Amino acid sequence: MLSLAVAKRLAGFALDVAWEAGEEVVALFGASGAGKTLTLQCLAGLVRPDAGRIVVNGRVLFDGTNGVNLPPQRRRLGYVFQGYALFPHLSVEENVAFGLSGRPREERRRRTAEVMERLGLTALASRRPRELSGGQAQRVALGRALAPDPELLLLDEPLSALDAPLRRQLRDELGSLVREWGKATVLVTHDLGEAFHLADRIVIYDEGRVAQAAPKSELLSRPASEQVARLLGVRNILRGAVIKATPEIIELRWRGHVLEAINSPARRYLPAADTPLAFFIRPEYVRLIRKDRPSPDPGHHMNRMEGRVVGEVDQGTNWMLHFRLDGPEPPAQGGHDLEIEVPKLVYEMLEIARDRRWTISMHRGSIQVLPSS
Amino acid sequence: MDLYPVWLSFQVATSATALTLLAGLPLAWLLARRRFPGHDLLAGAVVLPLVLPPTVLGYYLLLLIGSRGPVGRLLGTLGIELAFTWRAAVLAACVGSIALLVKAAEAGFESVDPRLEQAARTLGRSEWSVFWSVTLPLAWRSVFAGTTLAFCRALGDFGITLMVAGSIPGLTQTMPLAIYDHVQANQMHEANVLALIAVAAVTALLMGLGRLARLRF
Repeated sequence: MLSLAVAKRLAGFALDVAWEAGEEVVALFGASGAGKTLTLQCLAGLVRPDAGRIVVNGRVLFDGTNGVNLPPQRRRLGYVFQGYALFPHLSVEENVAFGLSGRPREERRRRTAEVMERLGLTALASRRPRELSGGQAQRVALGRALAPDPELLLLDEPLSALDAPLRRQLRDELGSLVREWGKATVLVTHDLGEAFHLADRIVIYDEGRVAQAAPKSELLSRPASEQVARLLGVRNILRGAVIKATPEIIELRWRGHVLEAINSPARRYLPAADTPLAFFIRPEYVRLIRKDRPSPDPGHHMNRMEGRVVGEVDQGTNWMLHFRLDGPEPPAQGGHDLEIEVPKLVYEMLEIARDRRWTISMHRGSIQVLPSS
Repeated sequence: MDLYPVWLSFQVATSATALTLLAGLPLAWLLARRRFPGHDLLAGAVVLPLVLPPTVLGYYLLLLIGSRGPVGRLLGTLGIELAFTWRAAVLAACVGSIALLVKAAEAGFESVDPRLEQAARTLGRSEWSVFWSVTLPLAWRSVFAGTTLAFCRALGDFGITLMVAGSIPGLTQTMPLAIYDHVQANQMHEANVLALIAVAAVTALLMGLGRLARLRF
């Protein structure tokens, strides 16, 4: 169990965060400069917070109110630095054994051998860090941090220095290693894919604050705010105004249309009429109404609007259509109002390349209301 | 001819270099790795011996360690005499050469990635252990180069030594002082021999040690 609350003021930046984690992998996700690494440094005792409290498995590492501040030496946390920071003058074996210096010689030797064996480093024991590949260096860094059996593993941007293909490969390797060792882990990353791939829980950082902390399954379906949705790269974030809100349904006005959305069952959000409100719909949930079928069923095809396709972007297996609604208002997103994702097969069957005018519909369950932050 | 000054110079320079390392390494580490009030003042004071006239340095040192100076009086009560002994020559050589070591070692320590030291700390190593197992091994070339320069400088000190240790033949008269005396007495052959020994020794040291550590001065 980790519970952390830290405040730290630096020139031109203030960190003020609090979050908790259990026996799992937590990713601190956010843009560079959001305070993720600073949090990790506070956790490891490399930077002293101005205030706050850090408790790991019942052990108080820092408490600003009574002056408790364990030095990094006594925190028993395994820190894997960005770029790994392996000792260049020591062999792989000496690197792995570095944190075991206080133990009896026999135990030191046995533990070093065991860790190297588990990480497949035995054959590299006498190599120097500069003679290692990226994947090998990553395993040595993990081995060095894990050998003293720390209570928490801290990974600071473990993959940021690598090129894309190698990065994917090492991400998978890192994921299986972290799971295999079953060590509670805090991971810092600015790559959302990495966070989703490696973590169970994600803490979203934004300019020194926590914007949302949630299990990753919850995050994409229920972003806590418009700001979180933007940080998560959600498409079609739109702004309308409330007409009427009940615990079940929210009616919105947007681009001259009245839209009906299901209220969040978790939040029961009840804004007053005319309150500006942000919402989003995933591009793959916007429907094109087929012209070769009988007239649309109003219970199924709700929130209907007319417009035309003004552009499309090739996404490999899908097309991302840029859709402009009819009407005098300026478009909501640059040159268009909505992004609509259709599989290439559908694009060809419906002859969208030729036929540009369409009626679309958005199911009320697909419209996600975002509380303003 | 009397080669004792050569022998004495090497003894003095060796002791002075040991003293320089003892005082200079902590000083260099402090300047490279710690920020404290007076940091810049100290950094400036360290280079002062390189730019002040040696006689001025020697003069102040003499005021300090002379029999009526504060340090001299303190040592006097313990029965230790400093001024005009070979110990004063060691001190003089140390003062003259310490800046060379400190500047080189400081640059060396600064070039060590601080994250390596932090990594060592998170792995449970004390500050003392971090220095010996990470900082110094990674900065040793710079420290070695600084030590070599400091030794050569100690070997050749003239002004400071003359002021605080005098030029007593057989006691405090080091090689540079002996050369001066020989020239004054028009003993050019003796001066020549000593001067050649000095040139040869310093050249051999710089080249030999430099090659050993693959250094460039």
